[in-house]
Amino acid sequence: MVRLLIANRGEIAIRIIRACREARIESVAVYSDADAGAPHVSAADRALRIGPAPAPESYLSIPALIEAAHASGADAVHPGYGFLSENAAFARACEAAGLIFVGPPTDAIERMGSKIAARELARSAGVPVVPGITPPYQTDGALAEAARAIGYPVLVKAAAGGGGRGMRTVGDDRDAHELIPAARREAAAAFGDGTLYVERLIERPRHVEIQVMGDAHGNLVHLFERECSVQRRHQKIVEESPSPSLAPPVRAAMGAAAVASARAAGYRNAGTVEFLLEGEGDAARFYFLEMNTRLQVEHPVTEAVAGVDLVLAQLLVAAGERLPWSQDSLIQRGHAIECRIYAEDPANGFLPQAGPLRLYREPRGPGIRVDAGVVEGNTITVNYDPLLAKLIVSAESRDAAIERAVAALREYAVLGIRTNIPFLIRLLGHPEFRAGRLHTGFVDAHLGELSSRGPVPAEALAAAATLPAAGGQVTAAARSAPDPWSTLTGWGR
Amino acid sequence: MALTFKLGDGSRVKCEAARLEDDPLHVTCEVQRDGGHGPLSFECALGTDGTIRILGEHPRRAWAVAAGDTRWVFVDGEVYELKVEIAGGHRRPHHHGSLSAPMPATVIRLQTRAGDRVKRGDTLVVLEAMKMELPVRSNADGVVSAVHCREGDLVQPGVALIEIAEDEA
Repeated sequence: MVRLLIANRGEIAIRIIRACREARIESVAVYSDADAGAPHVSAADRALRIGPAPAPESYLSIPALIEAAHASGADAVHPGYGFLSENAAFARACEAAGLIFVGPPTDAIERMGSKIAARELARSAGVPVVPGITPPYQTDGALAEAARAIGYPVLVKAAAGGGGRGMRTVGDDRDAHELIPAARREAAAAFGDGTLYVERLIERPRHVEIQVMGDAHGNLVHLFERECSVQRRHQKIVEESPSPSLAPPVRAAMGAAAVASARAAGYRNAGTVEFLLEGEGDAARFYFLEMNTRLQVEHPVTEAVAGVDLVLAQLLVAAGERLPWSQDSLIQRGHAIECRIYAEDPANGFLPQAGPLRLYREPRGPGIRVDAGVVEGNTITVNYDPLLAKLIVSAESRDAAIERAVAALREYAVLGIRTNIPFLIRLLGHPEFRAGRLHTGFVDAHLGELSSRGPVPAEALAAAATLPAAGGQVTAAARSAPDPWSTLTGWGR
Repeated sequence: MALTFKLGDGSRVKCEAARLEDDPLHVTCEVQRDGGHGPLSFECALGTDGTIRILGEHPRRAWAVAAGDTRWVFVDGEVYELKVEIAGGHRRPHHHGSLSAPMPATVIRLQTRAGDRVKRGDTLVVLEAMKMELPVRSNADGVVSAVHCREGDLVQPGVALIEIAEDEA
């Protein structure tokens, strides 16, 4: 592998570029018109424009990406996460074009790509699955009937999907009438496939996933769990490892089940097996949820506790080398927590926000890692996912890691656009979070207290008043020339 | 320099900041709330990196930027968007019963027409932004008096999409 094209943007593109530098592989960034000046473009050795701002015409365009790979002389492609990372057609197109696809074999993506086929595969490998139905005829009526047969409440999901899109909790027939068409539309828009399936909703489940990694020489290991129960709208916001209350026998059983699932799929490279966990302690039961056939957003949590570089290992394995570790050489040490920094407004249904990053200051210090896709002065657009950055802290214990995360967030100053930073601080300080009593409904259950903030303190008013008169020069960011946002009056009204 | 902030609850706060003549990095700031007791006084130290340290018994660190008539402040992990009241300025009248996009978005479905009778909570427009559907729901019972968008439009926040003549209470 000599030159790697990164078919992605934002923080993950920069993360992969870093691994390329260490592996002495040349990096090629791609960008849409909306990202022409983006940090991932400046970070790479080379950069090519692949199309206009809408993702279907740029980051999701297989022909544009293959053409860019040829034009740049790349011999390999890393898809990152999201976009085309779990698209078998893209992996196949890379293969057909003579490019190394940094990821699993195409047939493993296909086997795990359909949630339905993946469930069957896991079941055949002896891994427990949640009871569910995929109606052969995908009419609203057939789906509602399936929901009634399983018993409300149920979860309706996109067969092709992930990331919460096309997923709805359906409580009764009336919900079904409204939510099934919405889920189908979202699934079709996001994944090009509106097929839905219905499964039993497990009450107060935990979402715990196992990182796996395999090579072309038959080696397949797991790198322990990540606890990902803290979610909003079925999307993770805080992840940690170890899981605060996973009993050692359950951890071992889940690790073995993850490896068995991956082996059944003929898996290679990095992947994640997601499980739902029900119950407590040694008696906890786990169910195979799905396998993500790609690098995860939250991979740094595993890197921190296992002391490994997953992206570097991906590049090695893709180049045909052996895994750098054996199962026995891997240990889980200390505690790591990742907080996803989103441009969103938690007090307003977590609505994604767009606008300029007038001030953006990252925390630094021992045990603090920030993987960011933005810099001060960037304008966040509505074209892509609102993830700005990830804060990953590691420390010797869970309590110490929480304190470190809170201290880091308290100096993570972002102004000009609303973010979830204040929300994350309240979340990490919540007694139930501190006690490790997590479940996927945690955010919804405590939404009120997590979103509410006291009156404006006099100190904030004093700090605001220290700025020079309006129009004065305040920071480097405020000086940067034409500013369409100063004429936009919609904010905060 | 004196200025007035209008807070979310409608109350006003007057602030008076003065830079010390012999020390440009120190600012004193008096904060007087509507109906509050005498002004609170703060001494602030400005850092070359944009940090504002509020000195005193409980020192705090803050960052602030101005954007139009809003001042954004970050203090100890909380963010405040403070509206500066412009002296002599008059604000546009508030459209009761008008619905607007919460953020820049595309109209993917328009589910109402002028003259339609609607109930509070009815979904009238479905927007899409960042690959998510955002329903715009009626905030009142009434009759749609005007529709200012079409499917496919890219709409900006704060601009009315739908206007509703509310039923008399």
